[in-house]
Amino acid sequence: MENLMSFDTGLMFWTWVTFLVVLLILGTKAWKPMITMLEKREAFIKDSLAQANEARLEAEKVAKEYDEMVAKARKEAQEIVMAGKSTAEKMKGDILEDAKAKAESLMKQAERQIEAERDKAIAEIRNQIVDLSLLAAAKVVGKEVSKADNERLINETLREFGQN
Amino acid sequence: MSAGAAEAGKPIGTKIIEHVANSDVMVPLSLGPLDISITKHVIMLWIAAIVLMALFLIPTRRYRKGDFSAPRGFLNFLETIVGWVRSAIVIPNVGASHAATYAPLLMSFFFLIVTMNFLGLIPIFNYINHGHGGTTATGNINLTAALAIITFFAVIVAGIKEHGFFGHWKNIVPGGIPWPVMFILIPIEIMGMFVRPFALTMRLAANMTAGHVAMLAIFAPIFMLHNMYVGVGSVLMNVGITFLEMIVCVVQAYVFTLLSAVFIGMSIHPHH
Repeated sequence: MENLMSFDTGLMFWTWVTFLVVLLILGTKAWKPMITMLEKREAFIKDSLAQANEARLEAEKVAKEYDEMVAKARKEAQEIVMAGKSTAEKMKGDILEDAKAKAESLMKQAERQIEAERDKAIAEIRNQIVDLSLLAAAKVVGKEVSKADNERLINETLREFGQN
Repeated sequence: MSAGAAEAGKPIGTKIIEHVANSDVMVPLSLGPLDISITKHVIMLWIAAIVLMALFLIPTRRYRKGDFSAPRGFLNFLETIVGWVRSAIVIPNVGASHAATYAPLLMSFFFLIVTMNFLGLIPIFNYINHGHGGTTATGNINLTAALAIITFFAVIVAGIKEHGFFGHWKNIVPGGIPWPVMFILIPIEIMGMFVRPFALTMRLAANMTAGHVAMLAIFAPIFMLHNMYVGVGSVLMNVGITFLEMIVCVVQAYVFTLLSAVFIGMSIHPHH
């Protein structure tokens, strides 16, 4: 098998020397800094994730608070609108009532006035009719009937008229 | 097979082994009694280390300058893998509190092995040795044994660091066991201590070698039958195997690193 399984101190010696050189140089110059970097980055990622989680929780809390606030504001607005509506309704009722009462009183006043005017007019007409009748009767009779008789007669006649 | 016509007489099996095996000594060197000659796998190991260091040191310059903004492009890719090794291999086995201590070691395992595995898939490095010898350094048991020995000692050091010298050796056997069982358990656990790195050694080396042997075996009929049309089938099959090998490259580096992490973790947390 030639030198496939032969003992070779040279190669062993150089393996140890080379391995030691690689271990010393790369161990201190490359792998230590790289592992430190990896550890640092690992810690950084862990911290960042924790921070992100915290921030997310905070944001969720804020969002919840905001939602609550909006709901509260909406409810308040609704209450205000409702209160306004009921006030307006009440005011409307009051105004209508008031107007109705005023109108009624105006109507009554007008009626009373009209009645008074009518009574006055009727009294006047009556007086004039008496006067005219007296005048006419005097002319027809040619003599003066006593004023008292006349008035009695006329009033009787008028009453009869009035009754019919 | 760039071996050429001069070697045509050799049996194909020999040639295949030649291609996955290490080269002959290229630069003879010695450190006292120790032979530390440079071979092709040593060169591949160095190339892998240089490529790996360049890949990591160039994009991470900004970190050393204090620019810690989010990574982009290639650095992002590297960080994904580093992050994966840390979160899938280191932390689950060693524990988050010990991760900083053992992550550099385990990452050195993973990245050095994966780089050597992938460089072995690139056929151009064959020309370092004029087409002789494999280029997958992790296919050489000497290299994987050296890495597994590092794991072996890392396990012991981790245990002693956590529980003290005697505490660690006491932890090798689980507590609360009747004393006669100890006669069986202690030898088994001590054997296990050595079997684990041995298994790491063989698993990685065998897996990396096996892929290349399979690919070379699929190419072999072209030369055995002296017919280039056989190559159509060989090439198509080997394209598929190359994709498979890419998965194996990552998986084997992962397995070696994962098991090392598991063994170190067992030594730190013995009663789990």
